[in-house]
Amino acid sequence: MKENTKHIIATKDLRKIYKEDGLEVEAVRGVDLTIESGEFSAIVGPSGSGKTTFLNIISGLDTPSSGDVWLKGRLLTRLSGNELSDLRRDNIGFIFQAYNLIPVLTVEENVEYVMMLQGLPKHERHQRVLNILKQVGLKGMEKRFPPKLSGGQQQRVAIARAMVSRPALILADEPTANLDSKTGTALLQIMHDLNGDTGMTFLFSTHDPMVMAWAKRIITLKDGRIAKDDKKN
Amino acid sequence: MWLYIKLAWRNIFRNKRRTVIASTAIGIALACLLFFDSFIIGLEHNMIASATSSFLGHAQIHRQEFRHTQEPAYTINNPDQIMQSLKQETIVEAYTPRTLSIGMITSAANLNSVLIVGVDPQAEKAVSKVDDAVRKGDFFKGQKPQDIVIGSELAEILEVSLGERVVLTLAQAESGDLSQDMFRVSGIYHFGVREMDSGMVFIHIKKAQDMLNISGQVHEIAIKFKSLQYASDDNLAFWSKYSHNGNEALSWGELLPDLKGVFEMTGVFRSVMSLLLMFVVIFGIVNTLFMSLYERMFELGVLRAVGTRPWGVMKLMICESGALAVLSIAVGLFLGLIITGLFTITGIDYRGIEFAGSVIQEVVFPVMKPFQFIIYPIGLLLFMVLVGLYPAVVAARMSIADAIRKSL
Repeated sequence: MKENTKHIIATKDLRKIYKEDGLEVEAVRGVDLTIESGEFSAIVGPSGSGKTTFLNIISGLDTPSSGDVWLKGRLLTRLSGNELSDLRRDNIGFIFQAYNLIPVLTVEENVEYVMMLQGLPKHERHQRVLNILKQVGLKGMEKRFPPKLSGGQQQRVAIARAMVSRPALILADEPTANLDSKTGTALLQIMHDLNGDTGMTFLFSTHDPMVMAWAKRIITLKDGRIAKDDKKN
Repeated sequence: MWLYIKLAWRNIFRNKRRTVIASTAIGIALACLLFFDSFIIGLEHNMIASATSSFLGHAQIHRQEFRHTQEPAYTINNPDQIMQSLKQETIVEAYTPRTLSIGMITSAANLNSVLIVGVDPQAEKAVSKVDDAVRKGDFFKGQKPQDIVIGSELAEILEVSLGERVVLTLAQAESGDLSQDMFRVSGIYHFGVREMDSGMVFIHIKKAQDMLNISGQVHEIAIKFKSLQYASDDNLAFWSKYSHNGNEALSWGELLPDLKGVFEMTGVFRSVMSLLLMFVVIFGIVNTLFMSLYERMFELGVLRAVGTRPWGVMKLMICESGALAVLSIAVGLFLGLIITGLFTITGIDYRGIEFAGSVIQEVVFPVMKPFQFIIYPIGLLLFMVLVGLYPAVVAARMSIADAIRKSL
């Protein structure tokens, strides 16, 4: 398969086999999928359908047993550990279900962490942090530590951290799972707006009907295979 | 790097209790090392002082053949010239000439072989502590040529006390003819060293020279330097200056090789002690870092996921190890300074205990040296960082997918 630069993600016959207690478990079974730049998509499916494994592989956190995966045209299986780290740092923003902020860093430090890894100058980092925190409604909370924030606020920080370095792709795992519906809707609105404003690609893994309602494309995984791929008009 | 240092410093305070316990344990190990080292140095100083100041002196000059043969004919060449020269030496505080010969002492009740030491009482006082060790009578205050000062155990063997008469018999130098004279016990000393208390007697040097028929000659010149450190300096010009014309000048270390050997042995003890304490450190730090690592596996997985390179995670863990080291060193230095400092004031009383042929005569005061408070903490820091490499490598090589399995 020839890589296409319009595709932010492309997979070909992607497979992942785990060995557990001597038994082989095929978590992903020959998935062919392309995600195009600017999409606002969701991968859905029951527990054990392979969503997590699939997202791990396309983000370079795990390696496939066979098959190929391209991220922005680069074949991940050919990259070294450091190259994969740099690729994630520069191209992917992660939003996790459990917020996953560094509790010993302030809101500002959490948000600027990836930019520090990128080596951006301090004044630029600071400016970007202030802008993104304003966008997610956390202006004035720069010096607070995560444990002092509510769940919704922490998830906003996580979104800010994922987006501040302006990655091409945001991977969000159950971003609304621990939030009430009002806060969840507000965050989805923020992400939707950012998608519209910046053209960032969003790929959710979710069970939440509310997220599915916002998504413009829903990919349903079942038993490690794509069972359905619906695009909304 | 500053980011990792900041993260590490804050991370180690996330579980304050564990950090306090670990840093206190490692700090106590460092404090023990500092105390033990200071004590050993103090003990060495004490033993050297006991050995050198009681009788030996910091250095001695002999005729080259004398020490091995103990032959009274081997007297120092040009002793007057040497003593004149010693008087000019700026590093020499005092010196004293002696004659040494093996002989027999006899009383009405018993007899014993002894080392007969001819001394100049005034010069001797400035170098040795024989006069201080006199328990009964005095150390040649009367200036009577027939006075003799004997050890307490010898007095018991001979069953004599002050004022009683004894007879000394010795072989004259060169001729080997026997020479005999009667003396009156004017002093009884007690050093606490059996060999000295039972086998050494002191008489006036002039009398000894007459008996040995070596008029004006001496076998030994004992020297006290202004500082003991001169005696430890092998490159001191003093040694070559006085080791010529058939004579030899030797430091206490060469005169008492056994004692020097003991100090080398204590060096081994110190190394073993350091090693044992380092094991405490290994378990302390590895346990703490691994507990911290497994507790934060998910968080480290997130750091890796957002783009931190494996080496970045390693740096973070190494910095945490270093931060724990800094804290432990602060605790160790504080405890070490307080505990050792206290004993440098009060001292530790091991007086009377014989160790390696030398009796501890003074209270042992631990000696704190600047290097202990520089080298050991730096060593501990480097060691802890080195030990921290193990959990750091584990953290760097972890599977990101496994670490964050709970989420993505």
